[in-house]
Amino acid sequence: MEGRGSAVKTPASRIVKRRSKSYGRSCVEPPSQFWYTPGQLTIVRIPTSREAAKSRNITEKVDPEKVALLVKNEWKLSHVTPLYRFRHTQLKQYSRHLSAFIMAEKQQGVAVEVGPETTFKVTFSTVLGLAETEEDAETVFIQIHSKPMFAAAGDVPKVVWSGWLTCVNGDPEYLRSLPPDFVSLPLFCTNGPEALTTLVKSWLERTFDCNCRSLILNSTILNWLAVLWTGCHPTTDIRYLKLDWTLPTDPSLDISYRLSPQDVWELWNSIHQEDSADDTVSLEEVNRFMTGLESHFFRHFRIYLSAGTLMKVSTSLGSAHHNGKIKIACSNYIPTVLTLLTECAILRMPI
Amino acid sequence: MALLTPFNKMPELNTANILLVENEEQFQTKLADVIVNYEKQINVNVRLARKLPLPIENADTRPRIDLVVFIVNLIYERSLQAMESSIKHLDSGFFVGKVCFLVTGARCGSVSHERLLSVRKLAASLHCPMLCAEDQTTEGVRAAALRLLSIVKVSAGLVPTATALYLSALTRCTLPAELDQD
Repeated sequence: MEGRGSAVKTPASRIVKRRSKSYGRSCVEPPSQFWYTPGQLTIVRIPTSREAAKSRNITEKVDPEKVALLVKNEWKLSHVTPLYRFRHTQLKQYSRHLSAFIMAEKQQGVAVEVGPETTFKVTFSTVLGLAETEEDAETVFIQIHSKPMFAAAGDVPKVVWSGWLTCVNGDPEYLRSLPPDFVSLPLFCTNGPEALTTLVKSWLERTFDCNCRSLILNSTILNWLAVLWTGCHPTTDIRYLKLDWTLPTDPSLDISYRLSPQDVWELWNSIHQEDSADDTVSLEEVNRFMTGLESHFFRHFRIYLSAGTLMKVSTSLGSAHHNGKIKIACSNYIPTVLTLLTECAILRMPI
Repeated sequence: MALLTPFNKMPELNTANILLVENEEQFQTKLADVIVNYEKQINVNVRLARKLPLPIENADTRPRIDLVVFIVNLIYERSLQAMESSIKHLDSGFFVGKVCFLVTGARCGSVSHERLLSVRKLAASLHCPMLCAEDQTTEGVRAAALRLLSIVKVSAGLVPTATALYLSALTRCTLPAELDQD
């Protein structure tokens, strides 16, 4: 699987150039001192506009089997700091290491070894074609298969855990500012038992000297998703837009706000000015859209939704939860959603 | 629209009055308890409000307000919106060091970055200080209370050689040029 195509993407030795605008610090020092942080708050550059979601048939670029794997599951998101000395060419070796690591961890604390009950087999593979720009590293897909010790000969190993590390349209300035030997795959999506996730994360942390933390989707990201999905309505029927809020009353009040697609589309169409040149959506328009929905709710129920927290956004194209769980149901919008999430993960990087 | 004015009443001897404005009414009571119990040298009166304008009925009995503190809980968008609508009911005389923003929840990973940024922008445009506070622990509440006390003492004129305008010139919120451009 890890052929020549993926090898090209591995930055063997990149010449690092410092741009005038810095990421996080107003600094003049060369990037070799990247670890040096003056005692200043991280300044996150929050993008105020982004491209509207475009429907694209990504199966032309990406292996449809891989796309099917990404689409069918619900993923728990984490963000990962850049991986040190990660090579797309050594995926076979990583598979062996991770299997051995999981087996070793499973046997820990067992006084008398009676032989493992199940064997785990790990496969690493690349998902070519998801990366959008030159700077993006190719997506890496990890699967853990398990096979009972006394399984019948014909039994196919079952996939018990899967996860992928990705970077789609990552901020080029940030990616270029990384020292050589680092590969940035900031978004880590996992699906499977929590115990295995913890093991894989600790293996990643040990092997590539990185740090994995779970990613929380704040209301801005959820608002963006709601708007981007609403904007898809003319091309793909979104069927509904459902927003879940939790209000901090005692006991807490959960509100589920389900809107018909035609109504939200009309509201969005009245707010969004379509430029013929580049179809971009600005943050201001997003805020006005959400304020419109909230004031409509207030008029009927006398409840300020903004006094609570937006927990979940869902349409038939996918859903996203505040605690970092996401489901992408329609493969045509994978790049749009991943771009947004990659950016969210990069904003979380400690600098 | 009844504006709250800072200079239309006479100050009382050895007394400082602080007004805490918070939409959620959670942090202000904790803060008020600590402020009142901590200060023994002077009389500190803490007045609480959910929003401005203050009711007209007891405008006569209300003492002169030396410091208005807007508490913004970044977890809730409504908190920010309520503060923005309240601030219009303040006389411009307050903005010479008699207004201060107190932000809670800034370190919480789930809040959106824009809210902190918009409070910072507002504070910078009004030349007011912005303090970040921790409202979950008693230590955090105490630290916030002490910081407010030291500001209110100056703005009430109880500290010789220091004035509110002088202090605010030193402590006002500034924005880095990178954030200012957009």
